Amino acid sequence: MAKEKDKLFLDAMKKKFKEAPTAVNTNYYTFGGWKQSKRKREWVEQANKIAKARGIPMMNQDIGVPLGQRVLMPYQLSHTDIYAEADDLHFMNNAAMQQCWDDIRRTVISGMDTAHAVIEKRLGKEVTPETINFYLETVNHAMPGGAVVQEHMAEVSPGLTADCYVKVFSGDDELLDQIDKRFVIDINKEFPKDQAKQLKEAIGKSLWQKVACPTLVGRVCDGGTMSRWSAMQISMSFISAYRLAAGEAAIADFAFAAKHASVVEMGTMMPARRARGPNEPGGIPFGFLADMSQSFRVKPDDPARAALEVVALGAVVNDQIYLGSYMSGGVGFTQYATAAYTDDILEDYTYWAVDHIKSKYGGLVKSKPSMDLMEKLGTEVNTYALEMYEKYPAAMEAHFGGSQRATVAAAATGIACAMATGNADFGVNGWYLSMLQHKERWGRLGFYGFDLQDQCGAANSLSYRSDEGLPFELRGPNYPNYAMNVGHLSGYGGIACAAHVARGDAFACSPLIKVAFADKNLPFDFANITKEFGRGALREFMPAGERSLIIPAQ
Amino acid sequence: MAYQAQYYPGNSQIAKNRRRYMDPSEKLKKLRDVAMDDVVRILGHRAPGEDYKSIHPPLEEGNEPDDYVRKLVTPIEGAKKGDRIRYVQFTDSIYFAPMVPYLRAWMYMTRMRGFDTGTLSGRQIIEMRERDLEKASKELIDNETFDPAKTGIRGATVHGHACRLDENGLMFDAWQRYRWNAKKGEVEYVKDQVALPLDKPISVGKPLPDAELKKMTTIFRVDGVDMIDDPEVMAMNLRIHRLRTLCGFQAFALKGE
Repeated sequence: MAKEKDKLFLDAMKKKFKEAPTAVNTNYYTFGGWKQSKRKREWVEQANKIAKARGIPMMNQDIGVPLGQRVLMPYQLSHTDIYAEADDLHFMNNAAMQQCWDDIRRTVISGMDTAHAVIEKRLGKEVTPETINFYLETVNHAMPGGAVVQEHMAEVSPGLTADCYVKVFSGDDELLDQIDKRFVIDINKEFPKDQAKQLKEAIGKSLWQKVACPTLVGRVCDGGTMSRWSAMQISMSFISAYRLAAGEAAIADFAFAAKHASVVEMGTMMPARRARGPNEPGGIPFGFLADMSQSFRVKPDDPARAALEVVALGAVVNDQIYLGSYMSGGVGFTQYATAAYTDDILEDYTYWAVDHIKSKYGGLVKSKPSMDLMEKLGTEVNTYALEMYEKYPAAMEAHFGGSQRATVAAAATGIACAMATGNADFGVNGWYLSMLQHKERWGRLGFYGFDLQDQCGAANSLSYRSDEGLPFELRGPNYPNYAMNVGHLSGYGGIACAAHVARGDAFACSPLIKVAFADKNLPFDFANITKEFGRGALREFMPAGERSLIIPAQ
Repeated sequence: MAYQAQYYPGNSQIAKNRRRYMDPSEKLKKLRDVAMDDVVRILGHRAPGEDYKSIHPPLEEGNEPDDYVRKLVTPIEGAKKGDRIRYVQFTDSIYFAPMVPYLRAWMYMTRMRGFDTGTLSGRQIIEMRERDLEKASKELIDNETFDPAKTGIRGATVHGHACRLDENGLMFDAWQRYRWNAKKGEVEYVKDQVALPLDKPISVGKPLPDAELKKMTTIFRVDGVDMIDDPEVMAMNLRIHRLRTLCGFQAFALKGE
């Protein structure tokens, strides 16, 4: 076991509390309540002004529970040196979190091969690198809101859609050599050599467009709009670039390809009772989420960081935004979900697990899944995690909700089991081992949901039949057993990622998504997710889709 | 052969404690005697002496349809009288409180009837007909499942079970429903379950010494008794996981395990 000085969370604990992290006793009720928070003081001032101006009362910190009876602790964004107030990690107060979700929602990947086949075989026109370049110039005019086919059209201010563009990528180096570099996501440049090789082999000769629709469209409409916005502008651009007749029957093929046959949306369709369109967070499979994260691309020697970055991404997109707001609403989920990506606690458990696997199990992906391995390795990692809370009351108080601890311990166990075997289903089975042991050890677990999903989850963690299960990478927030799994979804994404980065896989589920998010022009940096959330908390992050051009100057 | 309830596996002190609390043939020790009127005040549902509010006429006055369940189940007193359903909720500190939330649920199941219960990480609610609830609450405050410093009676804003203890060893409560009376060495409630001020402080007695709590607690911890040192508990728990993994909920389908 690592020595005390090696615990990764100790720095954060010392910044959060004045006592030693091992101290059981402290003082309460002496911190000045909510006034100890700079942010809350600022808000009370704002709220008073607003209330006076509009004549309706607003935020009043003296209503409800007396906040700040203990120290309102700061939070370290894990594996960064950024500390933030909890308030600044609510997605409403954090422009980086908003842009993170915007950048996912507005991404559409659309194949060009079908359209090119229609142009060549059905219409008898030639498709060459030159025509492709011309099309890309056209579509980069049209996608942000420029008209290309009909005159006398209302267009969109480019200042509002500066974040909108179209690029292409392929496994065909020879073709891409002839495409204007301004439009290319170059796999060879962006990825380490072995990952680039895997990606190019998986993508093959196909040519794909990565469409970044305007952020503002997503905010005004919804995820279901994106493939429509993208498909309309793509179809119009083909018509214009290849001088086609807007009414001819072949145009329907472009529209069909761009809307359905050749399109990859980030979120799959959900059942009507969820009342969401496609490309909304509830439909994002964990494997897709793992592929959006780019940590393993820029730090290929650090698979643990890769998994932890996906945990952070899942915590914000799935727990804070989707379950916390789309499905629930309010402010409660932030406090819960941030536990997974703050204060280096899950970091400590995960890196301990990786070291443990290397020293006791021959290294990552050196073991075959078995019940005996599960019981041994799963118990070791989970016991370590729970013991840390017992030995360090500061860590216990940092994660003062049982659901936080349950998620973090289970995520560490699941990630470890996935990394030891390279198998995400085995990983999620480890999650459930952790849950059962945790409940037995402490006689407590999380909120009521932990009585449901986490007690029965072992029974379907290895199920593949369509009415019972799915390969883990293809499960998502809408998988029946996870549909109300608040706080769990962060860990699940991490487990899906862990199995693959441990194997050295360049992607977990979709090579197309992996490449699409390697794009440097995205406002949100998917290679440094946790850091970006921290920059958002510090108000250093510049989002897209702002409306300052069309509102009165302030 | 008649079924013999085993209640809980294991030979560690924690396992024995869990077994004892769950076994209804074991009489729980009464450690204090908080007056019934004071219990009613802390619960905060009605004033002492006030009539119970009813949600339906007494059963004996009603024309209940005849059915076999009514013949099988004897109503509890509050149900007979038509009492409304109210609650008591306990928060148990992670620092060696006598109870842990799940054990409360399991113990209630074996020792009480006529209730609904829900378990979370720090707190445990029981809902019952009001007059039965008051009796149950008094028992649960008076007996060894309650420690004045490590157990809280909290209707809302319940968190604190995992926070460090204050300088007097009391569990954190954002509403400060209770306080340390240094002169008496006792904990006294100054607010009811939902933090409305009481007319006068109500003492719930002296906290138990830490060493005593460690002997009677039901939580496995590395600085107490570690669960991995109780092979039978570990084996039982791993078996549950193994059976669920290998055969879903059809444990009977698995051969040789």
